[in-house]
Amino acid sequence: MAYRWVDHTAELELHVEAVTDEGVFEDALRALAELVGEGHRRDHVDYDVSLVAADRATLLAGWLDELVFRAEVEGLVPEAVERLELGDDRLAATIRGHRGEPRHLVKGVTYHRLAFDRDGDRVHACVVLDV
Amino acid sequence: MSDGPPGLRRVDDTCWEIPAGAREDMRVPARVFADAELLEQIAADRSLEQLQNVATLPGIREAALAMPDIHQGYGFLVGGVAATEPPGGVISPGGVGYDINCGVRLLALPLTAEELGARTEPLVHEISRRVPVGTGRAHGGLRLGGGELDRVLAHGPRILLAEHGIGTAEDVAHTESEGCLEGADPAAVSERARARGADQLGTLGSGNHFLEVQRVARIADAATAEAFGLREGQVTVLIHSGSRGLGHQVCTDHVRRMDAALRRHAITLPDRQLACAPLSSPEARAYLAAMAAAANFAWANRATLAHRVRQAVAQVLGRDAAGATRQVYDVAHNVAKLEEHGGRTLCVHRKGATRAFPPGSPDVPAAYRDAGQPVFIPGSMGTSSFVLAGRPGAMERSFGTTCHGAGRRMSRTGAKRQITGAELRRQLTAQGIVVRCPSNAGLAEEAPFAYKDVERVVAVVERAGLAARVAQLVPLGVVKG
Repeated sequence: MAYRWVDHTAELELHVEAVTDEGVFEDALRALAELVGEGHRRDHVDYDVSLVAADRATLLAGWLDELVFRAEVEGLVPEAVERLELGDDRLAATIRGHRGEPRHLVKGVTYHRLAFDRDGDRVHACVVLDV
Repeated sequence: MSDGPPGLRRVDDTCWEIPAGAREDMRVPARVFADAELLEQIAADRSLEQLQNVATLPGIREAALAMPDIHQGYGFLVGGVAATEPPGGVISPGGVGYDINCGVRLLALPLTAEELGARTEPLVHEISRRVPVGTGRAHGGLRLGGGELDRVLAHGPRILLAEHGIGTAEDVAHTESEGCLEGADPAAVSERARARGADQLGTLGSGNHFLEVQRVARIADAATAEAFGLREGQVTVLIHSGSRGLGHQVCTDHVRRMDAALRRHAITLPDRQLACAPLSSPEARAYLAAMAAAANFAWANRATLAHRVRQAVAQVLGRDAAGATRQVYDVAHNVAKLEEHGGRTLCVHRKGATRAFPPGSPDVPAAYRDAGQPVFIPGSMGTSSFVLAGRPGAMERSFGTTCHGAGRRMSRTGAKRQITGAELRRQLTAQGIVVRCPSNAGLAEEAPFAYKDVERVVAVVERAGLAARVAQLVPLGVVKG
């Protein structure tokens, strides 16, 4: 997997490395799925997400924030990205998931150390979550 | 006296300072209340760098302050205090945090631990049956119909008293700001925030939120303890929770909004999570209105939790015992408030820090005015908690503020590496502490060794003159998410 969690005193830092910008968003979803997934899967549900933000880093924070919100309010546990259209300042996606009881509360997706940078042929991103 | 870590100048026995000249962007010094051992722990993470970042906020006055339970956060450290002056001074949602008005409420029961005796376990069990715990959407939260949520957001627990018979008039009087921040505007709370919090009133949450049945093990100040209605051996219940998902989303909404407006306000910050706006700006006014509403929601949440505790007391100990269960006080430790300090109106951000007004303050309930404002410092499971009273030094040195708890010193994963939830449950049970927690992992994450030594933290604020010890509480039982 191209992501890793770093556990700090009171927050979780997610590092993602991918070949493409789209890959960062896909891996970030997988990371969050690992965090909130509750182990058993019920009926699959596809749901759509669309976002607008100033830049890719802000878009990534918004992406995770949307997944956290849908998990907490609608009990939608994400599993994978079915479709992803990524523009400079916008994103539209269809997510495959299931309804369940997410196991890990994320209070907020912060802008602390938020990063989305291309380095040669790889893209590195970092997001810190308050948990 | 020896110096602390490099860059720190020792001011006195309990205070260290990083001068404003340490970094070009600092507007005021950064000060830490600590002793040498706590300072060593503090210097081991990035708290001091984050405190210096806070010292760059536009309009900050006197100093960026850190309490002895400080630990690294994201943007604004946990255990930090910043006072900014309107109109140009800023308000920063990150300076309050995601759990707006996370706080602590203490109830005093009309019996001793000895009298409670074998009914301790049934009482803890009954509380755990009545208080929903855990993450996300809650089963068993108070259902609010029609415009009830708006009225709670506008007025806090007094609406629950008037419309649902929850709590008492004395409970409301014995709550910081009487459980209602001025300027709360339900319309400023987004639909997303409402969706996250709609069914969470009267739910504890997870993480470090807990509910503890305790015994007053020691009285340190008999006169003040008597004023607070506390006596040795008495049973108390400490409730630690906040504004749940509603507050989390209010913070998210307004960090985003202020971040987007930084350039327009010509504000440059060392950390985006410190996003802020001048107190005179539309962004600040919108946040203040929404934050106040979320704070009122949090007070209503703790009022509902207290109501459920009283129901459990009635079930196990009888209706008379429930009727005689008093609320000592309720304090916030994540909030920003406009207060008068030194003849100026300042916006005091307290993130993981507690208001601690001294005797004589008009903001302290009449019954406690000669004693000082009650402050509650929760320990961690298996360790003591403390009741303190605000002292004049808090007004002189920390904008009327003291610490809020033991302060984490270890990550959750680090705690789980050292102990399993099952083993911790066995250890607590062996100490005679009744544990009700559905998650072994959640229990292990909050192991006592993951926190600083609460007695040492309390000793520092006492020596610094910010607050004084009144009573020590030890756990009999704990309910956690």
